[in-house]
Amino acid sequence: MARYEYGGDEFIFVELSEAMSLETNFQAMAITKTLREGKLPGILDICPSNASYMIRFNPDIIHPDELISKLKELDQEVSLENFEITARAVDVPILFEDPWTHEALMRFRDRHQDPTATDLEYVARTNGFQSKEELIKAITDSPYLVSMIGFVPGLPWCYQMVPNEQQIEAPKYVRPRTYTPERAFGFGGAFAVIYPVQGAGGYQLFGTAAAPIFEKEQRLHDFKESMTFPRQGDVFRYRSISMEEYEEIRSEVENGDFRYLTKEITFKPQDVLENPKAFSDSVLRRLYA
Amino acid sequence: MIKVINPGLQTTVQDHGRIGHYEVGMPPSGAMDKYSYLASNLLVGNKDHAAVLEITYMGPVLEFQQDVNVAITGGEMPPKINGQSVPMWETLAIKAGDVLSFDFIKQGARVYLAVAGGIDVPLIMESRSTYTLCGIGGFEGRALQAGDELKIGGENESEIAVGTRISDELIPTFSKTNEIRVVLGLCSYRLTEESKERFFSIDWTVTPEANRVGYRFKGERLNFVEREQPFGAGSNPSNVVDLGYPIGSIQVPDGVEPIALLNDAVTGGGYATICTIISTDLDKMAQIKTNEKVRFVAVDIHEALEIRKEYQGKINQMKQQVLGHKGGVKNG
Amino acid sequence: MAEQKTVLTPIPGVFYRKPAPDKDVYVKEGDAVKTGDVIALVEVMKNFYEIKAETEGVLAQFFVEDEDLLDAGQEIAVIIEQ
Repeated sequence: MARYEYGGDEFIFVELSEAMSLETNFQAMAITKTLREGKLPGILDICPSNASYMIRFNPDIIHPDELISKLKELDQEVSLENFEITARAVDVPILFEDPWTHEALMRFRDRHQDPTATDLEYVARTNGFQSKEELIKAITDSPYLVSMIGFVPGLPWCYQMVPNEQQIEAPKYVRPRTYTPERAFGFGGAFAVIYPVQGAGGYQLFGTAAAPIFEKEQRLHDFKESMTFPRQGDVFRYRSISMEEYEEIRSEVENGDFRYLTKEITFKPQDVLENPKAFSDSVLRRLYA
Repeated sequence: MIKVINPGLQTTVQDHGRIGHYEVGMPPSGAMDKYSYLASNLLVGNKDHAAVLEITYMGPVLEFQQDVNVAITGGEMPPKINGQSVPMWETLAIKAGDVLSFDFIKQGARVYLAVAGGIDVPLIMESRSTYTLCGIGGFEGRALQAGDELKIGGENESEIAVGTRISDELIPTFSKTNEIRVVLGLCSYRLTEESKERFFSIDWTVTPEANRVGYRFKGERLNFVEREQPFGAGSNPSNVVDLGYPIGSIQVPDGVEPIALLNDAVTGGGYATICTIISTDLDKMAQIKTNEKVRFVAVDIHEALEIRKEYQGKINQMKQQVLGHKGGVKNG
Repeated sequence: MAEQKTVLTPIPGVFYRKPAPDKDVYVKEGDAVKTGDVIALVEVMKNFYEIKAETEGVLAQFFVEDEDLLDAGQEIAVIIEQ
């Protein structure tokens, strides 16, 4: 049962489920998409999140209780069966175990569950992988749904499109770090993230993204329309790259020539839920065709 | 042009805020005490959304290079023009060459300085507000520094006579002990009944970690209901599956110290939120200093909407005073 | 006649008598100070504000302890003018 909560006089928070699942995220996406298309007066922000969503509204225009009844109606009306998502499949190059992120995470060993291991070694062990290489393979084998954006501008929460029993889970640091490098690739709860800017953070750190996901100068092609690259509903494939490729991408970024490899895809949540493996294979085929 | 001789502790360009981009993780920024912000713009005849300077704890020293009307509102920080005391909450005339400075703060924490025409900095996502964490908006995305030169814009729409004042009953006063009203909810079910009760019955002290991002409070430890954590939430009992944080929402990471998220805060994350400060009391929150006391008071949504109406009534009264000269106090 | 000047902090925050944890204090009680000498720091919002002597004399006494949380306007020390 969804919970409808007042966030003061200007927000409504709707929790669809306490636990994360692809199905819940698709449901939040479907409701918020329908709400957006309805162009209800008085709505300021529509923020789909992982297993919930949040609305900022102007209560002088729409009464919170009226908004809640509208949202409850939507919850009944919207069905995943005929819901279709058009999004981008994106190749996201990651340099695992890079020297910069490594240096950062070693500085905060006293805040970690296992000060004697690296974050990658620790999560590999707690998830039952034989080696960190196996964990990297599991992370990069199947794509992720961008299930929420926030924290800071452009940070994508990414949830892997695999059956529940294959999901990787990782605790957050015991105490958050005061420093995380820009573009660090991290994992916390059941989510992979890229930190858009330098700052505090509590996710396990595995590597670094080669290309930015936030660019305030808006120089690169992918940032012409927005300073932030990820969009909810995107399908990200994290691809492990070598230091050589990393350096090539970095110089393309510096020159202003870098463009993400993307393909437009249309899919039905039902298809993903019924056969995540087949969906994943078809996305990768289309992306790298 | 306004030349910054000394920037003060943290002086930033702010306006109504960068609204409508929460979905991509962009907080609104903007003036933290909206009432004082509106009053300052009103007194110089600016449009509602014009950019002003938000001054925190210590005032800047500014040299004006042109004649312009200004108004100073918010916390009590006695202003001086060329060393001569001038009143707050009143339309003031500044001549080219004048130097504006401030005494120590007496009450409140934040002061707003509006100049007729507004501070002219580029619009970034429809707003001139500074968001220092990402270096966006305002003057080069940062707090002012000595030597900066600020341009004055054309965001004024009416002529306001020098000496126009906001009447005393519409000027807020600030205290060292404060009641902040919140609507309980969001993930408050995570707190034990006893901790919920304690949250509303003790005085919380504002720590030095109190800025535009948020305020952190010291008091006592709060406890969460024990449970098996839902899938994807993370292992700490204060963790939930990452969700959106309303502006003004309060969370208690690990149960240690409550944090109220404000204008420049993170827009979402994995900590259980337990209540939200009502929009009118965010103004009050902005005027509370480190080491001052806060008592949280629960109101329901209907009370919150009533309080919002009263607040808007005061703003309308203020507008009538200044624009309509109906009952407005005039000097000289 | 020697006059006493009280030193106030204009801002609230955490009081520090040392520039860094592993450094010596700026001034000891009984030390001579000149106008403009830094005698302590107050930290708020990750800014460190230097408290400076506004007169020449002897710093007779501190009224607050290292790492105390101060109110804006609180008295922190007294300088006896020479």
